[in-house]
Amino acid sequence: MIRRTAALVILALALAACGNGGDDPEGAGSPQDGGSLTWGVETEPITFNPHLYAQAKARLLVWNTFEGLLTHDQRGGVVPWLATGYEAAKDGLSYTFKLREGVKFSDGTPLDAAAVKANIDQIRRPGYNPALLAVQLKNLKDVEVVDPLTVRYVLTRPDVLILDFIAAPQGALVSPASLETAKNLKAGGPDLAGTGPFLLDRYTAGQEVHFTRNPGYWGERPAHLNEITYRFLKEPSVRVGALTSGQVQVIEGVPATDQQLIEADPRLSLTRGLNAGTAYTYYLNASRAPFDDVRVRQAFREALDVDAVLNAVYRGTATRAWSVVGPTSPFYDKSLEKTYSGDPAKANSLLDRAGWTQRNADGFRTKDGKRLTVRLVQSAPFVRDRRDVLAQAVQAAVKQSAGIDLEVSLVDQGTATKALEDNEYEVFDNSRLDTDTGVALNLLLHSGGAINRTRVKDPAQDKLLDDAQATGDATKRTELYRQLQQRVVGEQALVLPLYAPADQIGAARTVGGVGFEPTAGVPVSAYGIWLGK
Amino acid sequence: MTLALERPVVLRPRRPGVAAASVFLAVALLAALWPGLLAADPLAADPFHVLEAPSAAHWFGTDQLGRDVFDRVVHGARHSLAIGLAAVGIAVFAGVLLGLLAGLSHRFADEALSRSFDALSAFPLLLLALLFIAITGPGSVSLVVAIGLATLPTYARVIRTQTFVVRRAGYVTEAVAFGASRARLVLRHVLPNVLGPLPILAMIGLGEAILAAAGLSFLGMGPQPPSPEWGAMISEGRGYLRIAWWASVLPGMAVTLTVISLTVAGRYLQRRFEGRA
Repeated sequence: MIRRTAALVILALALAACGNGGDDPEGAGSPQDGGSLTWGVETEPITFNPHLYAQAKARLLVWNTFEGLLTHDQRGGVVPWLATGYEAAKDGLSYTFKLREGVKFSDGTPLDAAAVKANIDQIRRPGYNPALLAVQLKNLKDVEVVDPLTVRYVLTRPDVLILDFIAAPQGALVSPASLETAKNLKAGGPDLAGTGPFLLDRYTAGQEVHFTRNPGYWGERPAHLNEITYRFLKEPSVRVGALTSGQVQVIEGVPATDQQLIEADPRLSLTRGLNAGTAYTYYLNASRAPFDDVRVRQAFREALDVDAVLNAVYRGTATRAWSVVGPTSPFYDKSLEKTYSGDPAKANSLLDRAGWTQRNADGFRTKDGKRLTVRLVQSAPFVRDRRDVLAQAVQAAVKQSAGIDLEVSLVDQGTATKALEDNEYEVFDNSRLDTDTGVALNLLLHSGGAINRTRVKDPAQDKLLDDAQATGDATKRTELYRQLQQRVVGEQALVLPLYAPADQIGAARTVGGVGFEPTAGVPVSAYGIWLGK
Repeated sequence: MTLALERPVVLRPRRPGVAAASVFLAVALLAALWPGLLAADPLAADPFHVLEAPSAAHWFGTDQLGRDVFDRVVHGARHSLAIGLAAVGIAVFAGVLLGLLAGLSHRFADEALSRSFDALSAFPLLLLALLFIAITGPGSVSLVVAIGLATLPTYARVIRTQTFVVRRAGYVTEAVAFGASRARLVLRHVLPNVLGPLPILAMIGLGEAILAAAGLSFLGMGPQPPSPEWGAMISEGRGYLRIAWWASVLPGMAVTLTVISLTVAGRYLQRRFEGRA
């Protein structure tokens, strides 16, 4: 099968797609150059090195400075970006990319095949990004420099996830020179050079990151804005206040309680988009008591009326999830809907049968004098959408309906990682923004996955994941992932899916080009954004 | 002494502030000792009634999880008063010990201790407490110890000064002349006579400790959710201030009234008993 793409047409399409979404023709008028914009963001990145990107909310910053060989189109496929086209070998064991001519990194290093290879070599260094090696690059044998503008990815076995990696932030290309000279490679920052439309020139930890236009950008036009500042405003009410008072022109992460306020304001606009990837899910640690008993896992799910807590916390703006796979994914198994949860009577009888029959003075169930306690450790840099409040609502609900003690702690990332590595947790909360959900499923549900927090090691489950990664046939993949979801969500009750993550952008009507990235569903980078009068 | 007998302590209408403060403190004390009498379960969440305005059913409204704010404020009194009392307890105990030690030691040890009190009080209370909690991790116990340590110099200095006065008093020099042991001297003659100003100082200090505890809990350093601590409640409600002011303003009122009441009552007692140790 040979796929060669008419690169220019697609590029134009993709460019158009980038500027699509929240455009408000009445407010911002037609695109114009100049000006500086301030954007209030919820999450401060833990790194500016695209190879190590981990937070969905930081994705919009990556594309300002870095780009990959491929990008996504509107329908979940990939299209060339820094490449002009690519060819897949008939046996599925290699992909050959033609690189765009004349592209330079912002430090002057030309983009060539050797630069691509240098990036992959860096990523494959031990200890640099083990999670990536374990999944997306598991079957990558080598990257070959065919000629200065041709590079070939060679695989050990067919693997559809490699293309998704090349289009992902982790696959974005960094100048090989700056990879060598960066003072702190893992943290990234102004000294990592990319090919993107902006240059990261200033980062003040805890406050803001500032970008200026890259005058030498290779695309058909440079960015509209002269400069853009992203201020880290962790507090939802502070973000909303900053927008309504005009201190910032754009914010993302608009809490449910304030969405109406913004919609009602004639100077402001609100747009919403569902994210790609996995649903926000509680993964239940099946390697230790009490969740080693499937009845207790089922009871935990039955004890919770998910719709009620979502309504309370998000006031009807959240989309209920029924599977690990998000509802926008082509692999979503709709048959799981309404098959579990929200039945306290069933929860209590399951717990009785599992031997948790006694109650202590606080109303919690006990067995042999031990309280039915399960611990959820939340890592502060990853908490978004008031997930801490949601956890408290779940905590209250499972206590009231079934006497389960959900202990919630909100800690720094180091403490959270330690608890997870030491197996000192029963519940792990996560949502992943992966344009191909298969990536997330491999990380979360494969016995070798870097964040396999259910700690299940099941050869049958692994085989489903491996087979789905190896086939390019969409129908076959869908069927394999359907079986996986039936097993993990249905029979084994290893997970409690809660809601489908979404992004909201609140913006002044004078700002044009704000919207959501195709496929991923997160806010776009600043390339297509302009300031009207 | 005779003067006090001629004018018995009565609540006179001339001091409505003191009267109000006493009533409020009595209610707060009742809430702390017996919260079940005034309020229902502070942890009972109701997802179908979140962020509802104050009404007959919910006097103080409900919070973001549908919990009754009045119930939580009442139960919060126990947390706040217990943390405040424990912190003051630590500060007074350690302060008396170190103050006595400084007051009774020779020049060099006294200098060293006094300078370390100075150093401690040079830092703002909250900063010192934050520093301590950063090392030990958040929670009620660290909160108590942190505030206790940070407020200790106040008590230590007073005790040191008192000790200087008392050790030169006639009965002490006479006890020395009679050959009293050092321990007996300190416990029987010095200690009881230096404690005079402490109760009132501690009462005013209690207000300060409660305020500090609420502040630190606001920052997430105190009792963890879902504990109904006043500072934590203000913090949890702040995201909803625009649409549900009651969830954080009313717990805030509880802190304010408690601290003001303690200060008003403490100052009143201080004025009444000034100079009479």
